[in-house]
Amino acid sequence: MRIVHEWLSELVEIPGDIATVAAELGLRGFEVAAIETEPPGVIDFEITANRPDCLNHLGMAREASVIWNTPLKVTPPAVPLPTGDVTVEVDLRDADLCPRYCAQVFDVKVAPSPAWLSDRLQAAGVRPVNNIVDVTNYVMLEMGQPMHAFDLARLDGGRLVIRRALTGETLQTLDGVERRLDAEMLVIADASRATAVAGVMGGRDSEIDASTTRIVLESACFHPPAVRRGSKRLGLKTEASTRFERGADIDAPPAGIAHAGALFAQMSAGLPAGPLVDCYPSRPGERQVRLRLERIARLLGQAVPPGDVPRILRPLGFGVDGGDEEWQVTVPGFRVDVTREADLIEEVGRHFGFDRIPAAFPPLASPQPPPAAVLTRERLLRQALIASGFSEAMTFAFIEAAAARPFCPPGAEPALLANPLSEKYAVLRPSLLPGLVDACAHNRRRAQRDIRLFEIGSRFLPGTGEGRAAALAWCGAASGPHWSLEDRAVDFFDIKGVLERTCATFGIEFDTRPAERAYLAAGRAATLHVRSGSADTVLGVLGQLLPAVAEERGFPAGEEIYVAELDLSVLFDADAGEDLRAEPLPRYPSVVRDVSILVPEVLPAAAVRGTIRSSAPSTLISIVEFDRYTGKGVPEGQISLSVRLTFRGADRTLTDEDVQTAMDGILSALRETHGAVQR
Amino acid sequence: MADPGQALTSLRQQFEQELTGARTESDLRGVRDRYLARKGGLVSGLLKSLGSAPIEERPRLGQLANTLKAEIEAALTARLEAAAQARPPKGTVDVTLPGRQPVIGHRHPLSLLRERIEGIFTRFGFLVIEGPELEDDYHNFEALNMPPEHPARDMQDTLYLSSPVRSLAGTAATLLRTHTSGMQIRYMERNSPPVRLIAPGRVYRRDQFDLTHTPMFTQVEGLVVGEGVSLADLKGILTAFARELFGDARQVRLRPSFFPYTEPSAELDISCAACGGRGRLAPKPGMNPSGAAGLAAPNPGMDPSGAGGCPMCKGTGWIEVLGSGMVHPAVFEAVGYDPERFTGFAFGMGIERIALLKWGVEDIRLFYENDLRFLEQFRP
Repeated sequence: MRIVHEWLSELVEIPGDIATVAAELGLRGFEVAAIETEPPGVIDFEITANRPDCLNHLGMAREASVIWNTPLKVTPPAVPLPTGDVTVEVDLRDADLCPRYCAQVFDVKVAPSPAWLSDRLQAAGVRPVNNIVDVTNYVMLEMGQPMHAFDLARLDGGRLVIRRALTGETLQTLDGVERRLDAEMLVIADASRATAVAGVMGGRDSEIDASTTRIVLESACFHPPAVRRGSKRLGLKTEASTRFERGADIDAPPAGIAHAGALFAQMSAGLPAGPLVDCYPSRPGERQVRLRLERIARLLGQAVPPGDVPRILRPLGFGVDGGDEEWQVTVPGFRVDVTREADLIEEVGRHFGFDRIPAAFPPLASPQPPPAAVLTRERLLRQALIASGFSEAMTFAFIEAAAARPFCPPGAEPALLANPLSEKYAVLRPSLLPGLVDACAHNRRRAQRDIRLFEIGSRFLPGTGEGRAAALAWCGAASGPHWSLEDRAVDFFDIKGVLERTCATFGIEFDTRPAERAYLAAGRAATLHVRSGSADTVLGVLGQLLPAVAEERGFPAGEEIYVAELDLSVLFDADAGEDLRAEPLPRYPSVVRDVSILVPEVLPAAAVRGTIRSSAPSTLISIVEFDRYTGKGVPEGQISLSVRLTFRGADRTLTDEDVQTAMDGILSALRETHGAVQR
Repeated sequence: MADPGQALTSLRQQFEQELTGARTESDLRGVRDRYLARKGGLVSGLLKSLGSAPIEERPRLGQLANTLKAEIEAALTARLEAAAQARPPKGTVDVTLPGRQPVIGHRHPLSLLRERIEGIFTRFGFLVIEGPELEDDYHNFEALNMPPEHPARDMQDTLYLSSPVRSLAGTAATLLRTHTSGMQIRYMERNSPPVRLIAPGRVYRRDQFDLTHTPMFTQVEGLVVGEGVSLADLKGILTAFARELFGDARQVRLRPSFFPYTEPSAELDISCAACGGRGRLAPKPGMNPSGAAGLAAPNPGMDPSGAGGCPMCKGTGWIEVLGSGMVHPAVFEAVGYDPERFTGFAFGMGIERIALLKWGVEDIRLFYENDLRFLEQFRP
């Protein structure tokens, strides 16, 4: 709202220094966007949505009146007597959406405005049109009441009907645009058709022009949601709609017309042709709010002298009755934001000064519960992944539909946004991976080769909805660059190792099983499973990103990207947490045996391990595959698998015979189950 | 032939030059071979050439030549010994080569800052809670004193879902939350006062991308409710927070503002670091009329016209950090708290905005590009 310094100083005595005026009002809740010091001087205030009463000079004058402790210099307008008894018939059909409608007929001489008027409008940022329209705008900018002038000769039947628009009804508004109306909008119509969208914009057909001699001046109070709906549906924001949708003063319509009438007379632009018509079917009672001194101190944390209450509230337009402890405050019509005691305390606090409120520290009555386990676990997960060389990324929760689709279960579609920013952000991500892959591609395009990124965030799976997940993506080298090392590209087992290590942080081991996913390369995709009792839950997915997907997201052909995604609810559910008991250190030495066997190439290592475990005595404490060899000496279709077995007795030192017996059992089981031959 | 005496002198000079020029042990051995080799060495060549000198000169020249030979031998021996001493022990490594660094990732700056903020408030006795990113109209707007058609809904342009999606809270959500303020409602619905919590998380608004806006950002909401909680408590907590995060030298002020769910409402401003709160950048040393060192009191009369003003704070001397206020009684009524008995304050801040201020990041979009050259500037 552009407030003209010269204009404001006509309404209340204020300092001549515009910067001081701006700063003091700024500290009362009116943020200053810009100052123009050149005469007449303009301060552009950002008026918050709760203060439509300050979208005009009088409202700001009331604030200034409290700050500088000086009365308003406002005199009642000198309203001329009507020259006759010409009136317009007002048919108010929808009083819910228009609680008050005032109209008066004026005989006018349309001409350009005098310089003082057009200069002032321009300073306030409004384009001058002619003396009639300019006066309506002047009144709005001075005291806040939006008004509209119709050319009476162009109103069919010489009457005004306030009603909802008919479906399919159209209206050409003042800006020349043909607009389609609907029954949610309130219109001002004549006998045959809509001629204005109430509180938003007038129609071209009834516009004032040089030939106009008789006008109907409208000054009304429209229901804020009705104006807001009309303005939103038409995509049309005007000075009037901005004021009405925030809440208009039910008492202002007659005052607006009186003010305009006085100005018409003063400028010899027109005289009333008849009396004011005031349709005001149901008058609300006075709004009264109780204000307690004790409550002010309690909310502000600072006692305010009782004399400050009337000192602050009266110049703002409130009626204040009562003693030193409690007041009955009457709320003026223009303060639509004040309905309860807290609203009045804000008024007192604002002008008492927030800088005079002390800084205190609220006592803590009881200890807080510990933080939610999920927060602690996400922090631990983040630390584990960072220690594995992954940097943390943050990507958007909404992505392109095409990027999302491969990550949805077969046949399912990602959740759509109703009003997305663009096609690029059209659906909720079903996985963190598309965003992470795009982040890798972004880095790859900027000459980064070795990229390890992870993200912890929400994903939105068709069916199950919002859930927390962690995703990893790795491309480029398997280790940091060094002059002594040969570069090796990342492979499946690098990222699997990170997952094993990370899950071990939570005390969890998972089973890995071959799987198929639309976005993973065939033969290099797996699901991870955790078991508790008989339940087997999918913890996550791991594999090489399908090269076609990688290329589509901008990766150079032939580069392999390995990705994984974990369902955090599964990971955290499987975590035993801090329920841990330390085990005593072993008292007897362990014995290590290495064995190499020839087995079919297609036999999973997990099967070999399972056979060993089930055929070994309980003294076998660890199985580690340490070599896998094909080539010279190994028949086609077979591999040589070397396994290191560690044995330890719980209650004694194992003898060679103990271990040999165990080994014989294991080897014979391997031979029988898998046809394994010891090398 | 040349005068043998002169040849002797010039050989000495030549040797001294070469010796000085020899840098490595093998250079020194080369010099030794060239001068002292029995066959073809320069010194033995010189000795041979003495045979052509007049007979009466020979003893003197011979003596001089032998002295020269001894000098050369001594000088070379000394240098070779020194070189042998300086020779690195077996297995010596070049300690100046770069080491093998374990690969460690980096924290995202927003997560780093979020943890910092959580740490501060945790010490102030706040509980940290999280909630769903998908919300319903009631928790995002209505219970926060924003009924349908409320003009304040325009302050937060909302992204809606085409059809309801199950949220993390197990409810049917219709929109992406525009703030974490809904967590106030979710917590108070289930818990009685006293309340002292922060709720960090991602929020979404239908904002176009620019230097200071992204359609997704991170917010921290705070809520304190009890008997007798006041605006003074709000001021105390938030001042302590702002000073800890931005430094003790910062001035802090509350400025009246508007939020539908607080009454009274206030913005928290901190004095501008770039201009020290003066509103204009410091003149060159010696030209400062106040002559005061360090931080001046913030500029009382501001000059947002910007002419010559500080670009960081647009000449006001102050920077807006967060929104706050006393919980609106309508919010208490929505969750069944008695507004006569309980009072409270709430606040909300954007982590991105604080990161921009704290680290001087110029474009908010950098936080979501995940460029490693950006991420790696922050701590692991």
